[in-house]
Amino acid sequence: MTTLETLQNILIDEFEVTREQLVPEAELAALGVDSLDLLELMFKIEDRYKLSIRDDVPTDLSTIADVVVYIDELLARQAKARGVDPPDLHAAT
Amino acid sequence: MSERRVAITGLGAVAPNARSVDELFAQLVGGRSAIRRLEAPMFASLRSPIGAAVDFDGSAHFAAARLRMLDRVSQLALVAAAQAIADAHLDFATENRERCGVSLGTGMGGAESTDEGYHIIYAERSDRVKPYTVLNSMTNAAASWIGIDHALSGPNLTYSTACSSSAVALGEAARRIRSGDVDVMVAGGAEAPLTFGVLRAWEAMRTIATQDPTDPSASCRPFSRNRTGLVLGEGAAFVALEEWQHASARGARIHAELTGYGLATDVVHITRPTVAGQAAAMRLALNSAGLDPDAVDYINAHGTATLQNDSIETAAIKEVFGSRAYSLPVSSTKSMHGHLLGAAGALEFVIAVLSLVRGVVPPTMHLDAPDPACDLDYVSGCARSGVTLRAVMSNSFAFGGTNAVLIAETPHDHRRRPSTGLR
Repeated sequence: MTTLETLQNILIDEFEVTREQLVPEAELAALGVDSLDLLELMFKIEDRYKLSIRDDVPTDLSTIADVVVYIDELLARQAKARGVDPPDLHAAT
Repeated sequence: MSERRVAITGLGAVAPNARSVDELFAQLVGGRSAIRRLEAPMFASLRSPIGAAVDFDGSAHFAAARLRMLDRVSQLALVAAAQAIADAHLDFATENRERCGVSLGTGMGGAESTDEGYHIIYAERSDRVKPYTVLNSMTNAAASWIGIDHALSGPNLTYSTACSSSAVALGEAARRIRSGDVDVMVAGGAEAPLTFGVLRAWEAMRTIATQDPTDPSASCRPFSRNRTGLVLGEGAAFVALEEWQHASARGARIHAELTGYGLATDVVHITRPTVAGQAAAMRLALNSAGLDPDAVDYINAHGTATLQNDSIETAAIKEVFGSRAYSLPVSSTKSMHGHLLGAAGALEFVIAVLSLVRGVVPPTMHLDAPDPACDLDYVSGCARSGVTLRAVMSNSFAFGGTNAVLIAETPHDHRRRPSTGLR
């Protein structure tokens, strides 16, 4: 499952949105996801990827694509810090 | 300028055993207690795991994204307030919204969110406190959401005087209408205290009733010799208060008039009620309504079933009403819906108004053996119907000492002496 698909699944569970709405360029605000919702979303992302988001979540994440890029960068950075390859995001889970 | 009067044009309640004011009154008149054993496993370690819960699932009323931002107390408040607004047929789109406001009483605010937040911090030792914790638990959240939902841009006020909170909220709202500041106030109370942390804290005070071994629903016994304390309940109740001419001009049905509001404070001890303080609040309410004690036809008592309250309240009623006290129906509906803390005043005022409108006095239940110090007509065991009520009083007293008393009258003028007004 790609980062985008994972994010889509979480948002579909938590917000009244459809997969069709969750295109990469979709604005979070237009989907009803505000800055506090985004923080709560990050808890679920942490669980899903066994990540630890201790940095402040950037405030300029405005689209779905922004969040995907942020998660992927975080995954790569944390994997590198542990000296392993980034997790295979396409592996079935 | 003629005196501004306060019409009650809408009623709403989400209470133990009741999703509407009609259900509420039917349950009370039928003498049916909503007090139950709380069966969730986490309550098992309580000494007396009883409470009066509302059969209420927030997801039936709010979308998931919205629900995250609403503590249970706000959910209950929003639903009950919407009922009162609908009952009044108020259309705020046609109102000057700056002259419409919200006045809410709550003792503990978003207790569930507070409890959950502390559980995450201290029990789970996690730093993942939900981002909405502050906004969900803050005491004024419920009032704010009502204001936002209905776009009421006048005063938005939250009162917290423990168990008299929402009686104060109604009285203060009525004063604002009377003074000319506003025309419409959505006023009420909400409380959702049935969390483990809150129940444990109340239990530590030794004020919670012992569970009746054979019938948990009979655990709360106001005015009884064998009363053992109060039972916590949850819920919300609201009224739409409206300036009389404003209500008349739009052809609104006026349930009753809010004519009396009295406030007086016990200053002896943070938990100890006084006859003087309670009596003073009742007298001030009578004076503000311009009523003689003889004119009151029913008192919905504070009647918590704690050892202290019931005998003190009885003595205070006798002091104010003299010999009339013995022929005046006084009932404690807390015997059935429990003690809704900050929501109690509004709920019991709504019940008193329903009594007035329907000519039925709800009973005090489980009063088989009265305390010798409690010797009034408590309408024990069975509702009294077919009675003519012109003026009803609702008593709300509190830890902290803020005694608040409200009076409602049938919607016509039968004043006996000049009113001091809702000062």
